[in-house]
Amino acid sequence: MKVPVEEGYFRIPPEAHAAPVLLGSYSPAASTYFWPRRKRCPISLEAVEDCELSTEGEIYSWTFVMLPWLGSMEMDTGGGFGAVQVDLPEGVRIQAPLEGKMGDWKIGQKVRLVTRSVGKDDQGNDLCTIAFRVMEGSK
Amino acid sequence: MSMGRDVYVVGVGMHRYGKHDVSRRDMHYTAGMAALEDANLSFRDVGALYTGYIGGNMLDGVTFAKDFGLTGLPVVHIENASATGSSAFREAVMAVAGGSSETAMAIAFDGRLGNMAAAGGPRRPTMDTNLLPAAFFAFWAVRRMHEKGTSVETFAKIAAKNWNHARFNKYAERQADKEITPETVLASPMVAYPHTAMMACGAGAGASAAIVATREVALRLANGRPLVKVIASQMQSERYQPGHVFLGAIVGPSESTRITANLAYEEAGVGPNDLSLVHVHDAFPIEELMYYELLGICPDGEGDRLVAEGATTIGGRIPFSTDGGLIGRGHPGGPTGLAQIWDVTQQLRGESGVRQVEGARLGLAHMMGAGSVCVVHILQKE
Repeated sequence: MKVPVEEGYFRIPPEAHAAPVLLGSYSPAASTYFWPRRKRCPISLEAVEDCELSTEGEIYSWTFVMLPWLGSMEMDTGGGFGAVQVDLPEGVRIQAPLEGKMGDWKIGQKVRLVTRSVGKDDQGNDLCTIAFRVMEGSK
Repeated sequence: MSMGRDVYVVGVGMHRYGKHDVSRRDMHYTAGMAALEDANLSFRDVGALYTGYIGGNMLDGVTFAKDFGLTGLPVVHIENASATGSSAFREAVMAVAGGSSETAMAIAFDGRLGNMAAAGGPRRPTMDTNLLPAAFFAFWAVRRMHEKGTSVETFAKIAAKNWNHARFNKYAERQADKEITPETVLASPMVAYPHTAMMACGAGAGASAAIVATREVALRLANGRPLVKVIASQMQSERYQPGHVFLGAIVGPSESTRITANLAYEEAGVGPNDLSLVHVHDAFPIEELMYYELLGICPDGEGDRLVAEGATTIGGRIPFSTDGGLIGRGHPGGPTGLAQIWDVTQQLRGESGVRQVEGARLGLAHMMGAGSVCVVHILQKE
């Protein structure tokens, strides 16, 4: 079973192939969304409401990091890993690993959230973080 | 900040930055004694000590301070990521400005980044650490290339400049034996597109120190040298900006630099056109390029032109990173901001040898600390 590497950032729906869902905050006073969850609105300092955010967005920027994945002393297949900043429709910007290889990505492409395994817990569950994948047909 | 009393830099000291295995304690002692000798002061004359480091044990600061003597002075450990040294300096300035000390020392030190990381061994990623700083600044670079048409050659020119400034700094981590060209920088292995290994800051060990004092003390110690006055000390943490990133390896919105610098200019009563030289958090060349604009050295979008004209090289209109910056001099973490103060002070005194900026009168030192904070100091030759 897939479980988040840390609680409180996203949830993994039980349905097979369902995208992970980001757990965010909404500030009615500032009409602004945030991720991850805030204890107070950083703009108005007023209370915020829990919300769930979109699972798709657009590439704001990207890179390919020629270093081992954190938690490992060895390079990933492909000699590194992609990384991306994604703008969600709610105005939230998120940075996370990006599936694919150098040359696969460009700014403005549509991407969707996926999970990425980072190890196993004591019960044998797959510990996951979030990542993004370019949506099929997105140029 | 309101400066209750005028504050002057009276002594600066360094231990060489680099991938050596000198102990943190020995580096700390060397840099501190160098600052005391530069000021012609005894440790007995220091009223407060602010000691900065990122790695190590919580007792290191006060323990290492015993190497200078047991005088009973207050010792405070400061930690603020890459802005640790700058933050320690600011606290020393505040102690003198506020009247609690006539003389205060800021000192910072750190071991090699690799050694610090290896001490913990491979770690499972967390949500907050699943990307490295190298990726964060590469995001800035790729976006800049998209929006402004900046070329990788521009990044290479900035890095080569800083390598070449470092060639003549005996305390720099990277002291190349021949001139570094942009082509050499581009030919080095890729770290995080578009940044190559020679564009990335050095991550060796090192230590730096600075001593500040009142005008009366500074005049007594001057011995014919120009006085170096701290005319602005500003620090800001983040303010919300559209596209704000809360999680991961970040130094906050780039606008933090503009906000903090404007506060510093206001406090000092000077503007960017008055500056003689500038130090910035150039962990990667995209940062230096963006800081040209965010510090008001040129209008937004015109930083590339400064690079093409060679304006930010020693001998140019407004030299940046005159000791090599984070890329050339190195960036151990804690002490880096104090290395900037060391170089600005020497430049304003006219003691920088072949790296001397002709007629240097006003220097700005800028640091970012992950988390994040921005610190800006402006020093003036009096």
